[in-house]
Amino acid sequence: MRVSAGTALPNFEVDEVRAAAMKTMAVLLRDPNPIHFDPDAVAALGMGDRVINQGPTNMAYVVNMLVAWAGHPACIRALKVRFLDNVRGGDRVVAGGVVTSVAGDGRHQIAECDVWLDVVGGPRALAGSATVAVAAGAATGETPAR
Amino acid sequence: MTLDDLERLVGVEFPVGEFTIEGYEHWLATDAVDSPPLPAGVAHPMYAYYAALGGMGLTLDELFAMVGSSAADGPMFGEAGLEFREAMRVGETYRVEGGITSAARKTGKRAGVFDIVSFELRVVDPSGVVAAVSTNSFIFPRRTA
Repeated sequence: MRVSAGTALPNFEVDEVRAAAMKTMAVLLRDPNPIHFDPDAVAALGMGDRVINQGPTNMAYVVNMLVAWAGHPACIRALKVRFLDNVRGGDRVVAGGVVTSVAGDGRHQIAECDVWLDVVGGPRALAGSATVAVAAGAATGETPAR
Repeated sequence: MTLDDLERLVGVEFPVGEFTIEGYEHWLATDAVDSPPLPAGVAHPMYAYYAALGGMGLTLDELFAMVGSSAADGPMFGEAGLEFREAMRVGETYRVEGGITSAARKTGKRAGVFDIVSFELRVVDPSGVVAAVSTNSFIFPRRTA
């Protein structure tokens, strides 16, 4: 796989953000904030009537996109994001990205990328940048040497 | 919290903690975030974050108290950064160490006075190799700064 500045990363889509998954993550993250599992608490705060996804899960969708693109979790070197807006239960979201620059020795490419997560029909939930190692064999699961 | 108190936070180290990537928790987490298939035994990269925050040697409530705030004050996530140095392994136990790296007071036209406090957490494998570094910033409203 060869990439260059301007190469679009394949989207990673979640057709419906699941309220049940937020409950699982609330337990795993020991996150007691009720906006992730209690719609009444969300309403009481004037934040609508749907539970709100955990920020790290929104970040995970972007990581999923990068893993699916690069072929192996170890290809991801860095990720930095700013949280811009909320994702709610039932939302459809799309993680996307584009390569902004490439460095490397010919065998391995280090791609700097802009990345984001958009709510379909809604706001951009997060935006940031990622550094990803891409090798010719990455699409078959080979891990680029560090 | 005075500005001097805030600035004295920089360099404060957290107690060392640890985090084990339990297999069943990893299964549940990857299902919950709709992860693509992962190589056997390799943890989802977000475990750099989950391990850092879950294994740091103090709770978020304790962190908020350290900076003179609480969850009731409405602290907000600012930025999150992850540096992945080694693939993390399911079943492994990692040491988590780190502390506060920056603290600054700002004033916004709409937000009023607020503090931005950043901290870094290093996730260290049993051989002493830093597998991941997590940097995070929280924004603390200071209605009575």
